[in-house]
Amino acid sequence: MRLPKFDYRSPNSIQEASAILLEEPSARVLAGGTDLLVNMKHKVETPAVIVSLAAVPDRNYVKKADGAVRIGALTPLKRVYTDSFVAQKLPALAIAASSVGSYHHQTMGTLGGNLCQQTRCKFFNQSKWWRNSRPICFKAGGEMCHVAKKEHVCYSTYCGDVAPALLVLKAEVVLTGKAGVRQVPLESIYSGEGKTPLTLQQGELLTEIVIPEQAADGFSTYRKFANRGSIDFPIVGAAFWTSKKTGESRIGFTAVDRKPLRALQLEDFMKGKQLGSEVIEAVDGLVAKEARLMLSSIDSLSQKRQLMGQLVKKAIGEAMGGR
Amino acid sequence: MKKVLALKVNGDTHEVLISPNMTLLEVLRDKLGLMGTKRGCDLGACGACTVLVDGEAYLSCIMLAMDAAGREVTTIEGLSGNGQLHPIQKSFVDVGGLQCGFCTPGIVMTAKAILDEEPKPTEESIKKKMAGNLCRCTGYKKVVEAVMDAAGVKGGLK
Repeated sequence: MRLPKFDYRSPNSIQEASAILLEEPSARVLAGGTDLLVNMKHKVETPAVIVSLAAVPDRNYVKKADGAVRIGALTPLKRVYTDSFVAQKLPALAIAASSVGSYHHQTMGTLGGNLCQQTRCKFFNQSKWWRNSRPICFKAGGEMCHVAKKEHVCYSTYCGDVAPALLVLKAEVVLTGKAGVRQVPLESIYSGEGKTPLTLQQGELLTEIVIPEQAADGFSTYRKFANRGSIDFPIVGAAFWTSKKTGESRIGFTAVDRKPLRALQLEDFMKGKQLGSEVIEAVDGLVAKEARLMLSSIDSLSQKRQLMGQLVKKAIGEAMGGR
Repeated sequence: MKKVLALKVNGDTHEVLISPNMTLLEVLRDKLGLMGTKRGCDLGACGACTVLVDGEAYLSCIMLAMDAAGREVTTIEGLSGNGQLHPIQKSFVDVGGLQCGFCTPGIVMTAKAILDEEPKPTEESIKKKMAGNLCRCTGYKKVVEAVMDAAGVKGGLK
């Protein structure tokens, strides 16, 4: 399968990359390539210019500084979960990063790339031949969303494993662009629009992930349900963080909406409550309302809804000392 | 527009004139004639195209060849030397860790990456890391056994 033709640019710095992105609005950024190049082979993404970050130095690190864990956007997922602090103190992040694709995807894929991956849909992530049987979908450049059966909307689903884990750890991301550097909460980079899932401005790149050290004070985990244990996107993924000290809990989901989600209603309900039967009984009813589930994969909505509850209940059980 | 790429493969530097849209797999097979690395799914899902890039297991079908500039690529051809099989290859032959052999170069390269990282791996760790290498002929029992054999860990498998 040949990749479509493009102009290859290989800047030596983030500033240079940003300048190219401003010059060429249709350019796409290439980090590990495990998402973008597959989409390009399927011809659902055909950028005229590829800005490869392969030659950009100094963005591969995990370090502790100023009360935070700072991770370079080009750090491979494997390096993230094998870092001893992440593995011991931020298990949700370690488990999520090590459950992405296969071992190979974890050596190639970067943390920044994983967060910025494309949303997915059974009508979009298909070969050109498969897609020829119906009009091109809105996300791939047509008019119609075959999921919603409406024009000019897109209900593709965000399926990244790591984002929900970073959401419950209250991570922020550093965006670098022409106007300078800004640090924003991770959730603010997701638009909730299937066609354009990220809110990054023209010429902006995600350059660093910042996790407050307080996140290490609580219990955290990530639970994923997928067809195959080996190499699959989640049918549903749930991250959970809880702190005995503050009585706070945070829950994050992936693969249930157009962006990674926090289960805010359930979090509110859990505030100050001891983890126990009262909380567990309330989970199913509260999580079901959080997401706007759409039939963008082959999995039924009722199964996804049930899985949301099941995964959170298992995570709570784990926090209570179970398995 | 074509570009000149200096690619270091198995210790030799090759200068090739390529289109930037060529993957590392295409350059290895079609430009350098290194047919040991296999094209399977061509979408990064089967692991047949696994090579080592700076010692790490990479899927060469979803990596731009241009991105391999300045990095050290090792293919299955680079494992054996002086007509002698690499110990991992020998273990696969001895244990019978293959059937048709199409997925084997990828599996052996993943095994090399696993053993370089973890000289005495557990069965569980091999299974987790080998999960991205699919074999459609046979099971994976003998594959795991071959990697354990190469590591000198029998683990009660035999």
